[in-house]
Amino acid sequence: MHERRDRYPGYDVLAKWSGPSWNDKTRDVITRRLSIAPEPRFFTRDEYETVVAIADRIVPQPAVRPPVPIAALVDRKLAEQIMDGFRRPGVPRDGEAWRRGLKALNAESAAAYDKRFAELPEALQDKLLRAAQSGELKAAEWGGLRCEVFFKHRLGRDIVLAYYAHPTAWSEIGWGGPASPRGYVRLDLDERDPWEAAEAKDGNDATARRSNRGVR
Amino acid sequence: MMQLHAGATAVSDDPLHAPRACDGRAPDVFRPGGWVPMRQYRESEPVDFAIVGTGAGGGTLACKLAEYGFSVVAFDAGPYFRPLEDFASDESEQTKLYWTDDRIVDGDNPLQLGSNNSGKAVGGSTVHFAMVSLRFRPEWFKSRSMLGYGADWPLDWHEMWSYYAEIEQALKIAGPVTYPWGPPRPRYPYRAHPLNGAARALAKGCEALGIKWTETPLATLSAPRGLARPCVYRGFCVTGCSTNAKQSALVTWIPRAIAAGAEIRDLAMVGRVEVESSGLVSGVHYHRDGRWRFQRARNVVVAGYAIETPRLLLNSATARFPNGLANSSGLVGKNLMTQSNQAVWGRLEQEVRSYKGPPSLAITEHWNYEDRGKDFFGGYSYMSQGPLPQLWANTLFNARGLWGNSLVEAMKDYNHVVGLKIVGEMLPQESNRVTLSEEVDQYGLRIPRITYSWCDNDKRLIDHSLKFMRRALEAVNATDIWIQDDDTCHLNGTARMGSDARSSVVDADCRSWDIPNLWICDGSVFPTVGGANPSLTIQAIACRTADRIRALARRGELEAGSARPSIHRCSIEVQRL
Amino acid sequence: MNRPAERDLIAMAGIAASGLALASLLSSSSARVRPPRWRLAAPGRNRSSNPETVKAARRLNRAAGTLAASVLADSSVEHYRGSFKNKAMYTPLLVSALTLATSLHGTADMRPLAHKARDATYLLAAATGLVGSGFHLYNVGKRVGGFSWQNVFYGAPIGAPMAILLSGLLGFCSERVREAHRTRPRIFRLPAGRAIAAVTGAGLLGTTGEAGLLHFRGAYHNPFMLLPVTLPPIGAALLMSAAGGGPGRTHRFTRWWMRLLTGMGFAGVGFHAYGVSRNMGGWRNWSQNILNGPPLPAPPSFAGLALAGLAALGLMKAHPDA
Ligand SMILES: Cc1cc2nc3c(=O)[nH]c(=O)nc-3n(C[C@H](O)[C@H](O)[C@H](O)COP(=O)(O)OP(=O)(O)OC[C@H]3O[C@@H](n4cnc5c(N)ncnc54)[C@H](O)[C@@H]3O)c2cc1C
Ligand code: SF4
Repeated sequence: MHERRDRYPGYDVLAKWSGPSWNDKTRDVITRRLSIAPEPRFFTRDEYETVVAIADRIVPQPAVRPPVPIAALVDRKLAEQIMDGFRRPGVPRDGEAWRRGLKALNAESAAAYDKRFAELPEALQDKLLRAAQSGELKAAEWGGLRCEVFFKHRLGRDIVLAYYAHPTAWSEIGWGGPASPRGYVRLDLDERDPWEAAEAKDGNDATARRSNRGVR
Repeated sequence: MMQLHAGATAVSDDPLHAPRACDGRAPDVFRPGGWVPMRQYRESEPVDFAIVGTGAGGGTLACKLAEYGFSVVAFDAGPYFRPLEDFASDESEQTKLYWTDDRIVDGDNPLQLGSNNSGKAVGGSTVHFAMVSLRFRPEWFKSRSMLGYGADWPLDWHEMWSYYAEIEQALKIAGPVTYPWGPPRPRYPYRAHPLNGAARALAKGCEALGIKWTETPLATLSAPRGLARPCVYRGFCVTGCSTNAKQSALVTWIPRAIAAGAEIRDLAMVGRVEVESSGLVSGVHYHRDGRWRFQRARNVVVAGYAIETPRLLLNSATARFPNGLANSSGLVGKNLMTQSNQAVWGRLEQEVRSYKGPPSLAITEHWNYEDRGKDFFGGYSYMSQGPLPQLWANTLFNARGLWGNSLVEAMKDYNHVVGLKIVGEMLPQESNRVTLSEEVDQYGLRIPRITYSWCDNDKRLIDHSLKFMRRALEAVNATDIWIQDDDTCHLNGTARMGSDARSSVVDADCRSWDIPNLWICDGSVFPTVGGANPSLTIQAIACRTADRIRALARRGELEAGSARPSIHRCSIEVQRL
Repeated sequence: MNRPAERDLIAMAGIAASGLALASLLSSSSARVRPPRWRLAAPGRNRSSNPETVKAARRLNRAAGTLAASVLADSSVEHYRGSFKNKAMYTPLLVSALTLATSLHGTADMRPLAHKARDATYLLAAATGLVGSGFHLYNVGKRVGGFSWQNVFYGAPIGAPMAILLSGLLGFCSERVREAHRTRPRIFRLPAGRAIAAVTGAGLLGTTGEAGLLHFRGAYHNPFMLLPVTLPPIGAALLMSAAGGGPGRTHRFTRWWMRLLTGMGFAGVGFHAYGVSRNMGGWRNWSQNILNGPPLPAPPSFAGLALAGLAALGLMKAHPDA
């Protein structure tokens, strides 16, 4: 695994769980999110496996911590029919677009490499995804769904939103997280409240780590 | 009918699935679990006004008309929230505020709707709007005759100036002590908020480039107001304010409307406006509690925002009005205008942490008021930005094309991101429009198709703004500067007001030319949009419309059947269970 | 719970100390006859030599102490909010704490002699006030927008350091009054009572300016917010007229007004506490609301000044030419 240094060493947004920054409603919502099991409800097993593989390429995660179950988060959103509410002509509604896109992607993979997408090495997966991003995939399975539209407005969007809906991702980027009833006091440039993440500056992890342990 | 409601509320208090405003009471938005008494009207007896939509236009009008003594029922397809208990600090959860019913988008520049464009809740889009509360530049009301583009409004800016003042008071707008642009205006009722890092960067950029900036006038409290608490700078504004600091229609006009005797019906989707053989409208068909119902009304006001308003008018077509209601001009649905919302982003060495505070605490309207040096018509303002993580990640993915490690690494710079975003004027074009698609939604209603393409003028304006903002970011030593060139915001037009029945849908009073007891009062009536966020103007127009309706009623000029407010008050039948 | 960082501790200690000290200062008036044992360190000799000047001096010590307590608490909170970004931000905490201790000492001291250490401390306090004002002015001026409403509202409060300056001045005056047991009490050759009344009047006006600015920031959303911008200027005018008027007047109304202002100063804490409770999360969200809500320690500075006014009036009564 390549080295990914923590920008906010020791910061865990969940440490604020029972402090004044979180209210009951937020705790309910996040409890539900954290309890999502990494298995499909909307997708079929095969589809799910493909989504897991794609999510690994769109938002690669370090091996040193438990991964965010991105595919399951996307799956639940589709199962609950939470939709964007707008789509281009010829593009089916969200869940259907996923099904068709996954099928097409696997068809492309089979045609080019004689393997399912999930079985490809990372480099080839990336290559296929890049081809989708730039609109180069034309297999019949795409139907009226253009691959770059699927990539940008469905696949990537849903995966990125799912990952950054997770507290693990919030800690990784040093965001303050949920904030109600307590918001913030120190707002100006280079100002930080004691309940915000401290950034490691000039490789000085220790100071930041100490501050971050005090975050409540 | 009332019994059915009672049954529904007893089952659960999930605002998304069972109506809350029934049984003679409505949710008290200021107290968790609380209720306020609400008058209710029979469906079989006509109310003075049935209003479709309770947002900036409909909510304001419902309040004013009820206060003037008219009987009012206002419908909203969305839920009735109590922000203090229903809103989580969470971007995903709060998508429940958005209008996400199925819509088709096409054209050269298909719009991104959903979160970015319209709300579905009592209070409308103001529940999740960014609270920027600007007046129009006076000349914009006569942009055709004074500035040479767009269309003239049938309104006089002097009159609007006093309505703006009324709205600013009603919402306790927190703004600068003196506003640097335009004709004098009264002092904002509340003082401006402190600047955050992102706003500070905007200010520095403006000073470096020699243009003025100011604190953005915002509809969020900088001091307590009654039961509403001041802003805590939590920065979740566009996902709903659980502090109640945000002066949305939900916590301002709606409680006033209910206190004055209006009824609000939540989770009530209006599917059709009924037209009688006389050619007048007689009420609305709406879907609530699992079935279609009909409310009789002497007047109907459509205030569903610039997509749902034309959609409803088009969906209400009859043999007599085959092209939809109020559409003899053929203009219903046409001249849809969004506003350009392009951004320049960069990285500051300092920590910006723009997630703190309302997203746009500082603004410059320089290019709204300065016409020299432009190769385009119209204007734009630009504001500091504060995207939350999901929005920011999707911006990096969608607009910058980042994914894989480059996305994950870029996201780690989240706390250093600084950005400037415009609200830019787009010109009205008939080809930008709302039509009906053949597909239907969950109610069986034909869904809207929204066609949008930028014109050359739009592109030149965007170009100008991006070059200018890039300089502004360079001036504060931002690095890694990049451009987001595809975003839009706000929806207007589609039922424009004018002084001629052939070239507009409604008159200056928001009354449709074709059907005298059908009114349209929301963002749809804008003939042009200017480079300023629209909600203050929508509310000012609603206040004016209410005053005009009262005046017309006094003169007996409302359509037959419309009672005068004072008489009607006594005849209201209140039904409480 | 984790260990709080040292600056949290400092700020908390500052607030606690100021509260304790304030309580003891105020109770000292009733304990005039027999100082509590823990203050025995301040010896009570020569109690009879000139009770009037000593009494006035002790009252001035008390006024200076009240102001210092207010400054200690206020600067603890405000500079904590400013994260003690600059080491100099600890200065007002140290100096006001010292001034407070000095004032306690002075309040308990019955001797008609000036005290070198007290004098030095009070001068230090006055100097700190001056330098602090300079710092705050510089801080506001260098922010983008300069001396704009935004920056005077939310930048370093320009008027705040004046409170420690006033505390120092009053303390310095108290020493001059105290040592004047043989001569007429004078300060820089001016009659002491009148001089103090004038300084206090000016202080009241300045403090009114500060309250006016911050209450304007709060848009006077509560009508009670008008009190501290209306009552104190009247008090200032009364004091000025006492300072300028002829001898032999009793100033009954002025005294009464000063008591009113003292009451207002302490009641203000209550109002501000109510203000804190009206912010989101109320007192449960204290870590935000103490900083963002109305400042609890600010209003007692009115009380400090009003107490000084009373001392001055007392002195003028005892020494008609003072
Ligand atoms: C993210 C975001 C940020 C914004 N920020 C700002 C800002 O900072 N400043 C500003 O001035 N403006 C802002 N706006 C725009 C502003 O919110 C809208 O322009 C304004 O609310 C529109 O008012 P309206 O009355 O036309 O419609 P809305 O406020 O959208 O109200 C329409 C209501 O009608 C209901 N409705 C529609 N059709 C039906 C039907 N058939 N039956 C029943 N109910 C129906 C909807 O549910 C909705 O509640 C923002 C908008 C968004 C989305
Ligand atoms: S920043 Fe203010 S207005 Fe925005 S959500 Fe928070 S409290 Fe509400």
